[in-house]
Amino acid sequence: MMTRSPLAVVRGLALAGLGLAGLVVWLFGLLAATLIVPFPLAVSAMTWLRDLNRTLARRWAGVTVDAPPRRPPPQLRRRDDGWYVLDRQLYRSPVVPAFLLKMQWLGQDKSLARLWYWLLFTPFTGGLAVLIPPALIVGGPIAAARLLPGPVAPVVAGVLAVAAGLLIAPAMLRVQALWTRFALQPAPDSWWVTSGVGPWFGRRWAATWHGAGLAGLSFAAFGGFLVNLVAALVSWGGLIPVVSGVTRVLVDIYRRWAREWTGAELPEPYRPAPPPPVRDSDGSYRVGRSLHERRETAIRAQRLTAILTDPATWRDLLWMALAPIPAVVGFVPAVLVGFGFFGLVWQALSWAIWAVPLGLSTGTWVTPWYIWYAATDLAPGLTVVPDWASMLVGLALTAAGLLLALPLVRLRVRFDALLLNPTKSARLGQRVQRLTETRTDAVDAQAAELRRIERDLHDGAQARLVAVGLGLAAIDRLLESDPQTARRLLDQARLSSATALTELRDLVRGIHPPVLAERGLADAVRAVALDTPLPVDVTATLDGRLDPAVETAAYFAVCEALTNAVRHAEAQRVTIVLRHHDGVLTITVTDDGRGGADPGRGSGLAGLRRRLGTFDGVLDLHSPAGGPTVLTLEIPCALSSPKTSTS
Amino acid sequence: MRVVLAEDLHILRDGLVLLLEAHGFEIAAAVASGPELRRALTRERPDVAVVDVRLPPSYTDEGLQAALAARREVPGLPVLVLSQHVEQLYARELLADGAGAIGYLLKDRVVNGDQFIEAVRRVAAGGTAMDPEVIAKLLTTNARDVPFARLSPREREVLELMAQGRSNAAIATRLFLSESAVGKHTAAIFTKLDLPPSDDDNRRVRAVLTYLNNT
Repeated sequence: MMTRSPLAVVRGLALAGLGLAGLVVWLFGLLAATLIVPFPLAVSAMTWLRDLNRTLARRWAGVTVDAPPRRPPPQLRRRDDGWYVLDRQLYRSPVVPAFLLKMQWLGQDKSLARLWYWLLFTPFTGGLAVLIPPALIVGGPIAAARLLPGPVAPVVAGVLAVAAGLLIAPAMLRVQALWTRFALQPAPDSWWVTSGVGPWFGRRWAATWHGAGLAGLSFAAFGGFLVNLVAALVSWGGLIPVVSGVTRVLVDIYRRWAREWTGAELPEPYRPAPPPPVRDSDGSYRVGRSLHERRETAIRAQRLTAILTDPATWRDLLWMALAPIPAVVGFVPAVLVGFGFFGLVWQALSWAIWAVPLGLSTGTWVTPWYIWYAATDLAPGLTVVPDWASMLVGLALTAAGLLLALPLVRLRVRFDALLLNPTKSARLGQRVQRLTETRTDAVDAQAAELRRIERDLHDGAQARLVAVGLGLAAIDRLLESDPQTARRLLDQARLSSATALTELRDLVRGIHPPVLAERGLADAVRAVALDTPLPVDVTATLDGRLDPAVETAAYFAVCEALTNAVRHAEAQRVTIVLRHHDGVLTITVTDDGRGGADPGRGSGLAGLRRRLGTFDGVLDLHSPAGGPTVLTLEIPCALSSPKTSTS
Repeated sequence: MRVVLAEDLHILRDGLVLLLEAHGFEIAAAVASGPELRRALTRERPDVAVVDVRLPPSYTDEGLQAALAARREVPGLPVLVLSQHVEQLYARELLADGAGAIGYLLKDRVVNGDQFIEAVRRVAAGGTAMDPEVIAKLLTTNARDVPFARLSPREREVLELMAQGRSNAAIATRLFLSESAVGKHTAAIFTKLDLPPSDDDNRRVRAVLTYLNNT
């Protein structure tokens, strides 16, 4: 007690200092986030500070703060040709992609948000708590000497203050540690989450700022419109396709953010790029009514024409021109919450932290309601409300802002959908292109398959049957004269026919596995699982049969995935789940192998994707280094005539 | 011995009838579809049924389903299933009731008439006749199993033939060994795989197949 308490006071001072350092790092982080490049450095500083605080919490207060679970950063992949690849983009040097990869990785770190909050609030919570003992020990006697009359009272009060400071110092260290744990350690099952109140607030809170973000982008879009306008006026319209090509990027960013933030469906509305121009008989390239000597200029002209004639361009422009209207409305919740909560409520609550030291040291006392007074200056009619009630007003404004946030975001997304969504003809155009691609794939695959079958039959069963026929002819001749040789030839013929049968069986299996025909997808997958030299768990809930073509495609996709798991992933166990829900067949193949499978690498997955494309199916591969690998296939299809499945 | 035969291809059905009759079997019924087979099995109560997996009208596994249904009704009804392809999945379903008297062979095996007839007789007598291909697949998928890896190559050969349903005598002729040598190998296999030893061919086969199926 005698040494622990003074030590605790000193430690408290150190922790308070760390808290302030955290605030500085927070500010640096904010700056770094806008400058982007130093951001990883800032995050390193932030995590270093966090880890130091975790260690101190354990040593000084005996409170263990668990480190947030985190996968190691992914490795940048280098191709065999020496280029680095990230998100289908090639880089000569590893610096930029490694940085982007690190940013992606940091962006996916959920514990980072908690870290930000912790850094921001620590000086005012845990950091403040550990400051109380030193404040009592130093400030207590001084204040007593100044304020209390007589010789005895100040001494008694001073001693009491010092004693109280020493007494509560270890407890305050614990308070700081507990705050750190509370702030940094996720507690998923708290009442706040399970009751649904937290998520309810969270959705509206997020919608408030997302609405503001979209509004901000809208103003940027309006800027884009102005640039278009100026370009059009300067060049008599000639520059519009060029500038529109650039502003498209801006609108696309808006689409992406709106999709991510609001879940709105805003698919790309642009017409597919036209096929490259072909050289005419006179050696020039024709684009519309103009002839071009060089292919490059022809392609550029073609692209500009395409942009100019695409209705989506003009709809984009109209949207950009109108964008400020929904943007102004979109800011309303953010303004209400910002002014109401942060201005009137939060300021008044945190007023003591800065105004009391300021008042004590300078003698100038600022009122906690200073923001309210600023507001009444602008609107004198508001003075009828008593100043203390401004917190209630603030809460009311916050509530109004939060309640407005979701409907307003929905409204604005509806406005966006009106102009930013593809028109029916654009959708049809995209569909036609997709169908053309998948049809070509399907036809090519079919032709290749037929060629393979033809070759297998020609070199296999067909040749063997000819051999059998020849053998039988020889036997016929030798039957009387040389029965022994005839018998030997007979054995040979039998062997040939057996081999021919085996080959035919394998061929049939490759075309359409018999179990699939007899039992359907679920049992066919079970059968192939049994033939796999690994434990494979198959869970299938399919009450009925699928379309035969879909069944075949899905079956071969599963086979491919299983082969990959066995051959490349070094898996110990594979789990396959088949499910049909809402008109979509979903198959997931999970293996506990080493992961790191790259969808861009190897032709297997690309082939699978093409094969599924014919059925508008999609394939998703999730394979972080170290596993597990999860392959998900989704094929929209119908399930027919419920038939009891055997298993 | 009375046989019910189900095979939809005319040429094969006639061939099988000829083959079976030549070996002294009496054909109680030779049918070409699932419903007919179902009726024939319950009406004729044959000593053994030889059944093609895929039968009309649905051309799915109707023969197999009819055989399984009949065996639910008459436990231990000897059934030899023929197919153009063999699947572990079907083998498991056939063996699942543990009553024995089951055969599951590729249609190719018919080419070797004597062996095929021997298999029919074995099944009729309550034994087992599993196609070598089924057993080979079972053994490959079990290759990583630890107790299984302890078997010597010769023991594996013996196990393979044993799992097909062959007796010690048959295994001995096949591998050019003495019967007592085969007996020693089987004893070693049973110890290594931790199975209860038994002299009864049938129970022995079942033990081995259950072991292979469960791992």
